Formats: sequence, structure tokens, C-alpha cells
Amino acid sequence: MDFHQILLLGSIVVPLLSAVFILFFFLNDSCRAKQIAYFAFGFPCAAGIFLFANTDPYLTGYSFELLYERMGLQSLGITFHLGLNGVSSPLFAMAGIVGLSACIAAINSEAKRLPLYLALLAFMQSGLMGLFASVDIFFYYLFHEFALIPTFLMIGLWGGRDRRSIALEITIYLTLGALISLGGLVALNVLLDAPKFDFPSLTESLLTDGLKVGTQQKIFGLLLFGFGILVALFPFHTWAPRGYETAPTSVSMLHAGVLKKFGLYGLVQLALPLLPAGGITWGPYLMWLALGNILVVGAITVAQNNLKSMIGNGSVMHMGYCFLGLAVCSSLGASAAVMLMCAHGLSVSLMFLLANYINKRSGTLEMNEMGGLASQTPILACFFAAATFATIGLPGFGNFWGEFAIFLSLGEYADNRLVLGLAALGIIISAIFGLRAMARIFYGSKSDELLSFEKENKILDLNIKEIIPASLILLPLLFIGLWPKGISEGIDVNISSRYQIFDKGDGNLGLPSCCPVSVIEDSLPESSIQKSALEEEEK
Amino acid sequence: MVQVALSLLLLPLLSAGITLLFLRKYGNIAALLSVASAGGILAFSSFLIFGKDSDQIFSWSTTWFQLSDWELSFGFLVDSPAKTLLFVVSFVGLLIHIFSLGYMADDKAKARYFGGLSIFMFSMLGITLSDNLVMIFVFWELVGFSSYLLIAHYFSTDEAANASKKAFIVNRVGDFGFLLGIIITYWTYGTVNLQELSVTANLDPSLTSTMLCLLLACGFIGKSAQFPLHVWLPDAMAGPTPVSALIHAATMVAAGIFLLIRIEFLFTVEALKLIGLAGSVMGLYAGFCALTQRDIKKVLAYSTLSQLGYMAAAFGLGLPGIALFHLMTHAFFKALMFLGSGSVIHACHHEQDIFNYGGLRKKMPVTAYTFLIGVLAISGVHFLSGYFSKDAILLGAYNLDFVIFSILYLGAILTSIYMFRLYFLTFCGETRSKSSENAVESSVFMTAPLIVLAVLAVFGGFHSLYPAQIVEYLLPDISRVAEMPHHLWMNILGLFAWVGGLLFAWKIYGSDTQSKDPLELKAPSLFQLSTSKLFFDEVYLFYVNRIQDPFFRFLEVMELLFISGLMVRGSAGVAALFALLGKSFYSGKIHHYSFWFVLGTLGFLAYAILGGGIS
Amino acid sequence: METISPSHYLFLALCLFSIGFFGVLLRRNILLLLMSLELMLNGINLALVTFSRTSLNLDGSIFVFFIMTVAAAEVAVGLALLVALYKKRQSVFSEDMNLVSN
Repeated sequence: MDFHQILLLGSIVVPLLSAVFILFFFLNDSCRAKQIAYFAFGFPCAAGIFLFANTDPYLTGYSFELLYERMGLQSLGITFHLGLNGVSSPLFAMAGIVGLSACIAAINSEAKRLPLYLALLAFMQSGLMGLFASVDIFFYYLFHEFALIPTFLMIGLWGGRDRRSIALEITIYLTLGALISLGGLVALNVLLDAPKFDFPSLTESLLTDGLKVGTQQKIFGLLLFGFGILVALFPFHTWAPRGYETAPTSVSMLHAGVLKKFGLYGLVQLALPLLPAGGITWGPYLMWLALGNILVVGAITVAQNNLKSMIGNGSVMHMGYCFLGLAVCSSLGASAAVMLMCAHGLSVSLMFLLANYINKRSGTLEMNEMGGLASQTPILACFFAAATFATIGLPGFGNFWGEFAIFLSLGEYADNRLVLGLAALGIIISAIFGLRAMARIFYGSKSDELLSFEKENKILDLNIKEIIPASLILLPLLFIGLWPKGISEGIDVNISSRYQIFDKGDGNLGLPSCCPVSVIEDSLPESSIQKSALEEEEK
Repeated sequence: MVQVALSLLLLPLLSAGITLLFLRKYGNIAALLSVASAGGILAFSSFLIFGKDSDQIFSWSTTWFQLSDWELSFGFLVDSPAKTLLFVVSFVGLLIHIFSLGYMADDKAKARYFGGLSIFMFSMLGITLSDNLVMIFVFWELVGFSSYLLIAHYFSTDEAANASKKAFIVNRVGDFGFLLGIIITYWTYGTVNLQELSVTANLDPSLTSTMLCLLLACGFIGKSAQFPLHVWLPDAMAGPTPVSALIHAATMVAAGIFLLIRIEFLFTVEALKLIGLAGSVMGLYAGFCALTQRDIKKVLAYSTLSQLGYMAAAFGLGLPGIALFHLMTHAFFKALMFLGSGSVIHACHHEQDIFNYGGLRKKMPVTAYTFLIGVLAISGVHFLSGYFSKDAILLGAYNLDFVIFSILYLGAILTSIYMFRLYFLTFCGETRSKSSENAVESSVFMTAPLIVLAVLAVFGGFHSLYPAQIVEYLLPDISRVAEMPHHLWMNILGLFAWVGGLLFAWKIYGSDTQSKDPLELKAPSLFQLSTSKLFFDEVYLFYVNRIQDPFFRFLEVMELLFISGLMVRGSAGVAALFALLGKSFYSGKIHHYSFWFVLGTLGFLAYAILGGGIS
Repeated sequence: METISPSHYLFLALCLFSIGFFGVLLRRNILLLLMSLELMLNGINLALVTFSRTSLNLDGSIFVFFIMTVAAAEVAVGLALLVALYKKRQSVFSEDMNLVSN
């Protein structure tokens, strides 16, 4: 095992073991638990960035592969297979970065039973790292559950008002989504006779065998709705704003920033390239649902008065853009969606972090009870402005490139231009809510509630312990914004190589060809599966 | 060349970065750094305009970002219109930086202000130099951001908070159309590079459409505050006066015109007609609103709106060179007047109502006379800079489209009236309030740029005085207009316009006026109509407060009811119904249990005997 | 007078079984419920003996012995339970034996 593989495996194992360590030995020792937590989260962050920098973007396969076959599940094709490719390595690094920030935020929060909180957070972190590092689909799903379960516990125990019922709602809703997507994944395992149940083997077996069109549509539908619920697709999104409002800050950061990307990652890497006919059939419906995300949830975001609720709704709105990028079924759209995923993860977690800071300084999260904070907290205002402008898609931050490229991909065919026009309204809507928040919180005159709060507590600007996690997230965001090539090359190479069928089917978009076009030939291969697909279409 | 262009672009960015990171508490150093970078910009621009190889078009690009088949390049295109704008931006920019040294001398947040100015210069230069539409869009948004930052300079006032928000959002609405236009352009032409676009457009004129032109022109409408997105510009006067001078008079709002010039090969005849008409109506409307404004900056803001309408009309007539010419001269005299007003405001301790001024000519002679030069220039007094560009537009309109001409001519008369009104009320007569009594002439930092700009305002119209590179783009259209007939008639009409305006303003406002506007007494209905500004602000406010926000709240309630309530809690309820059904079996009564037991047994028996396997 | 055929015995068995059956279903008093249960068993016994006699097969009669044994054991246990229940609930009626608060 060479150094990189150790780092990769370590990023999953270190937080896991630290969590176990804290649980067994240091449950009452806050001090030691904090030290262990710094290590538990710092290691994946450093490893993530290092591995991201060292991933060869021009490789279409996986770097740093780690494969353990004998897990006792060979009959199902399940192996323990880790690796990073162009799409997962920026997400992996993002997960590490957001995790470290969340850890620092958690340590500085005054949570009761801090060691337990940190242990659960570390479990979550190991799940998140494993999620993006996994090549095997079973472990991909397993790590997702690993990351999801602690969130229920944490919301229920350390959340805000109404935490019990919200935790219950979120548990059931997200488990339902996971269940539906599991159905789709199991169907893939059963129907495709692949030697191993992981991304490359499935792709290969699809090239040789292929699935019938109807099957593809059904499996894609299962995966779409399952993952869609997990990523807050309209109308299955209502768990998100309430959940994020109630959850403690670190949990919101990790969940909205990283965990939500599980579904999109699955759709990009798994559902679309493997089930192209399904993608093409469901595409138009997905577009309208994503528009619902953008316009309806966007409108609701504008109407919000609670800061965290606004950020949560805003995050749901941006998922609409990602879904649009996927619905277009082209490599441009999918790559753009991945770029937006990376950038959005960073920007939304930064927003939640700053919302926490604002809460500490004004005693409330209701925006009409704040006002004029910028005179006393200029650094916080600066960070918040950066985060807000990142969210609304100002060039210079990573979100702009993803959003712009998604819009660009929509414009390709004249049928999609209505959707393009409606979706672009989103940039106006996000400017409205972002700037309203900025004006209500930081500009103008102070509200009465703030003045009375100020009598009791002194309002201070950000101290160094708070600046570090915020800068930790802001710097990569600026990096992606100013040098998008840094992540786009890997994404582009990887996705273009797997999305050949969509790109080649330039005018054949209605044709239910189920076999992916092989890279070498230009014409569709004459295979028996294709004939049966045509027969099915004729019926 | 490449290095020069890159340094030109990165110098202000560097200055802004250093200010943000290190100089937040050292306002004076930040100010000097910013002025130095403005000087550097002028130096580099001169090199780009006059240096070697400058007679050829310079273009260079590198791929910045690539996804699938789409390649985004970052590149420079320094051709004739770019050189003209580069000259205007860097020169006027430097003068305004120097002015700011004096104006913001006692401001507490100098570092933020100068950092914002540097970011603005970076973004504006980006627009000037970019060679493709996407990069223009990037810098477009950045310019909007720096405008937001600078308007919100006095952020503790509600006025600034709302104005900055409004400016950015209204700009975003324009950017929405611009974005759609860029995307459709890409998929229609296969490229967004300006040079490639002009080649393709000339090869195949049928590809373009009026829709495409209008979408791209949405960017212009938002940024240059044309109808119906003009409402942000008057409110933007909440920012410091040098900001208004730089951004909202000379450069940013001119970026819209520059965009139109850059893509003029795409325009269809209908689109041009529409823009021409819309621009001229704006010219008239804004002039009409400016007649009754009391705030000195708002008068100048509406004046800017009006002049932008003139530039749009010139473009719509098919004379982009004249539009650029007017942009240049307008930058000079409008910046001059804004800076002059800044000098007045600073001297009168931030009093901005012109009816509280008066007699400042004796107290601030330099300001007064330079301001007078600006007023004369904008009114089209013969042989000043404004005369040449305005006359060209009017002459072109008279020969090409009489409707536009009549609207513009009316606007010219109004321009003269309100500008002389402003001058008379501010500088002539007796002082009308305490603050203007204590006014003194401003420091040399403020008066020096005024003098320089005044010189430019006087001589700036003689295009032969300029080095060839700067006016290269203007010459073809200037000569085209020069060959048109009816010169003498135009001169007479122009003379009538400015003299008539001067006399009218003198008659009503020249004598000692009190703090009430005399026009209100003499023509009350006209006055009401003018102050109402045709209710645009009210309509938009009504839309936001009465239609948009309630509708969004309604959507929130609908979501709560239907999705959260009906769908989620509803399905939970259905599951609960099943649970209730199951729970009803657990009655606790022996007889119920034995009943179900017997029923089950009978069922099994029936299955065994009738259905099942037993024959 | 006709000869008594096996069908008469079966009819009697059916009557006994039915009385016991409906007694189990409908009786309130648990003791009487248990008695009805015994009645059902006896009806079955009669039927079994009848069939054993008509088919001249001893299997049926042997089975009756088994049933009687099991019935005796079951009655012992059942009555013991009933006594314990009475001590707890002070009543032998089924509606008082309901801890499920429905």
C-alpha cells in the first residue's frame, strides 16, 4: 500500500476510530475530546486536499485504487473498493474542508455533552469521506447511511426548537428516499450481470449487454426519486428548510454542504451514464420539477424572515440548478452540475457558519430584528457579503461557473429555451433574497430588539477562532472562482468519456437506443439487445 | 503587449487586494495606493494606445476554462473603440481619484472607499479590454458588484442600504436578458468571441434576429439605466459624489453603450429602430423629470439618463461612432459637473438641496466657472465639446429619422433649461441658507481636476486635436454626418435651443427665488407631472410590496399547506390510518380474539379444501 | 320406528359442537366459556367414536382417549388460571379482563 492509498483509507478510518475512542474513553473529558477531534477532522482535510492536488485529471479511471475482494460478499459482487477520479476528488477535498470547519465551529459552540457531539460528528465525517472515495456501490450506499444516521441523533439532541418532531420527520423522509434509491441500486445489481458491483464494472457490462429501454426507464425513475428526495427535489424538499433551521450549525454545514451531494453524485456517475434511455425519458419531467425548485422554492426563500430558514431554502433552490444540468443529458450540463455541486457545498456551509456567528452577536435569527451590524462587525459583514455574492452567482466565486455552464447547456436545443428563460429568473430571485438579507442584517439603522440586546451583551467582531474556519471555506471558493480549470479538467475528462452516448446522439435524442455508443465506432452497434429494444418500441 | 494589458488589468486588482487584507485601518495609505494605481493605469493605457504596434488591432487569448465542447477564453481585444474608451476611463478615472483625495479627506472609511474604486477600475477595464461576450459578462457583474459596494459606502443610512440593493437587483434584471442573449448567441453562431462573431455575422446575416439583439441589449438597458430599468440611477446618488461621477456618469453607465458598439454587427434594422426610439424617449423623459428636482445630484443623474438616451438614439440611427463620441464628451462635462457638485456639497457640509444654495459664485469661483463651462457644454453652446457631439446626433436624426429628431430636439431644449436652472439657483443670486453662507473654495485636490476637465469640456469636441488612435473609431461616422445636408438649419435650431433655454431659466429662476420652486406656482400641473416622474418608482414599489411579496408569501403558505401538509403530513396520516386499523384488532377482549382465530381457521380450511393443494 | 343410524349420532355431535362453539364465542363468564370448550371437545369425541364404529377402525377410539387426556390437563390448567385471574380482578367476566386501554 503506497502513501496515497494510506491517506485515502486513513481519511475514512481516522475519524471512525477517533469517534470510537472518544465514545469509549473520553466521554466526560471535553478537553481531550477536542484534541482528538482536531486530529480526526484535520487528517481528512489535509489528506483530501493533498489527494485532490495529486489526482491526475487526465485519467478517466480511478487513482489511488484500493481493492479488498474477500469480504465474504463476492456472490453479490461486493468488494471494498476505494479510489478517486476527476469527479470525486474535488468533492472529497470539499468534504474534508467543510468537515474541519464544522469541527472548529462545533468546538467553539457551547454544546452540552460536547464529547458525544464530536464523536457523532466524527462518525458522520468518516461516512462522508468514504462516500466520495467509494468505487463500490454497496459501500457508497453504506457510507451514506453511516453519515446520515448521526444527523438524526444530533438534530434530535442538540437542535433548536421543535427538534424532536423535526428529527422524526427528517429520519423517516430521508430513510424513505434512501430506501427507494436502494431499490434502484439493487435492481441494477440483479439485472446487470457484472463481476463486481462497482461503477467501472457496471459500465463495462452495460457496454456488452445493455438493458431494455423499459427497464432502464423504471430503474432510472427509482433512482431519480430516491436520490431526489435525498437532495430535496421539488416537491420532496420540505424536510430541508425546517431541518436546517433546527439542526445545530455543524450538522447543517455538513448535511447541506456535503451529504446532499450524495444523490447528485449518484445520478451523475451512475444513473445517467448507465441508463441513458431512462435519462432521456425522465429528462423533461425532471426539468419541470427542477424549475419548481428554482422558482417556487426561490420565491419562498424571498419570503423568509429567519436567516437559517432562508439559507436552507436557498440551498434547495440551488439544487434546482444542479438538477437542470443533469436533466439536459449532455456532458456540458453534467460537468456544470458537478462544478456547481463543489462550489455550492462550500458556499452554503459558509453561510450556515456565518449565520451562527450572526446569531451569537444579535441573539436572534429573525432578520427584521437585526440591522446596522456592519458598523460593529465589519469583518463579519465582509465575509457575509462574500458568501452572499458567492451564493447568488457573482463571477469570482465558484458558483458562477457552474450556474453559467448549466444555463449554457440548456440553450442548446430550442425546446429547452423556455426552461432556460424561466430558470435564468433564478439569478434575479437569488439576488433579491441575498441582498435583502445583507441589507436587513448589516446595513441601515439598528432595530429596537438589537439595541436592547446590545445593552446586555457587547457586540464584538470576529475573533481569530472564528475567522479560521470561515477563511478555510472561503479560500477554496475563491480558488474555484478564479481558477476553475483547477477542478474542471478532471471533471470534464471524466464526464466526457462516459457521456459519449448523449453527445453523439445529437438529433437522435428521441431514439431509445439503449446501448451506449462505443467510443471507437461512430454508428450504433447491431446487437440483439438493440433489436429487441426496437421491437419493443414498435409495439 | 500582452504583459502591458495584463498589468493594466491586474494593477487595480492588486491595489484592492492589498487594501482589503492589510490596509483596512490605514485609510491614507490606501488612498495613495489607489491613486498610484490609477496613475499606473493611465500610463499602461497610454502604452496600449500609443505604444509600438498600436496601429494594428491587438488581440490575444488563452483558454481559461473548458467543459465538453465549450471553451471559455480570457483574452484582450484592443481595437479602435476600446482605445477610445480606455482613454476616457483611465484619464477621467485618475482625475476622480485625485478629487477623492480631497473629498473623502475626513471620511472614516477611506480604505473601503478606495478599495472599492480600485475594484471598479479593474472591472471597468475588463469590460473595455475583453474579447468575448462571456468575459464581458463576468466583468459586467463585477462592475455591478463594485457599484453596490460603493453606493453602500454610507451603509448606516437606510437610504444607502436600499439604493445599493435596488441598483444591484435592477442590474440583475438586465443581466438576465443579457445572459439569455449570450447563450443563444453561442448556440446560433458557435462562438462568443467578438472577432469571430463579426466574421460569421457578416457571412450569414440571416442568423441574427431581433429577439437576439434585444436580449443582448437588455444588458445595456440595465447597466445604462434605460427604460424600464432606469429607476436605480437616481437612487444611486446616495453614494459619495466622486462615485456618482465616476460610475454613474462617466464610465459604468457608458459601458452599456460600449457593449452595443461591440456587437453592432449583430443588429437588425428593427432592433436598431427600437433602440433609437427608446433612447430618444428616454432623453425627453429624463429631461422632463430633471426640471423639478431639488437635489443637485439628482438633477445631474437625470441629466445622465437623458444623455444616455441621446447616445442610444445615435446608435439606433446607425451612427455608433457618434454615440462613442458623445460618450467621450459626456464623460468630460458630466464628470466635471458631478465633481463640481461634489465640491459644492463638501463646502456646504453635505447640503444637497439647490434651493438652499445661492450666490456660491462669489465664494467658490473656480468651482462656479468650471461648472458653468460644463453647463454650456451640455446645452450645446457652439464650439464647445457638447456642441459637436450633440449637433452630430441631431443632424443625423434630422436626416435619417424625423420622429427621433423631434423628440431629441425637445429634449435639447429641456436640457438647456434645467441645466441653466441648476446653475442659476446654485451659483447666482443671494445665499439662501446658513450652510451656503459658510462655503469656501475647496482644496487644490478638488479644484485641479475640475480645471483639467473644464479644459477638456471646452476643447474636447475638436476631434482633430486628439491623437489619431483615440478618435479612430469616431472619424468615419463624423465624416458621414459632416456630409449630410442641413448643417446651417441645425446650427440655427441649436442656437435657438440653448439661448431659449438660457433665457427661460433666467426669467424664472434667475431673480431671487425663495425655497419654493417658482415653476410650481407658474405651471402647477406641469410641475406635478414632472415631480411624479411618471410614477415609475411608485409602480415598482407597488409591484414589490403589493404584488411580489404577497405572492411569495402566498406561495409559502401554499407550500406549507399542500406539500408539507397534504403530501408529507398527509402521507404520514395515511400511514397512521393503517396503524389505527391495525390497532383496532388489539381490543383486549377475549371474544374478539377468539372470533378472529376462528375466522382464520375457517379461512385456512377453506383454502385447504377448495383452493390449495389438497385434492 | 326407524333404526338409529350413524347420521343421528353425527347430528348430536354437531349439536354439541355448535352449542360449545357459540358458547365460546358469546359467553361472558370465563368459567362457562371453559365449559363450552369442553362441550366442543365432547362433541368431537362423539363424532370420532361414531366414525370409528362405522368404519370398524379402532383409530378413532384411540384418538378419543388422547383427546380426553389432553382435555383433562387443559381443564386443570385453565381452571387454575381462572382462579388466579379471579384473585387479581375479583371477577370472572371477560369485560373485566381488559388491560389494553382501547
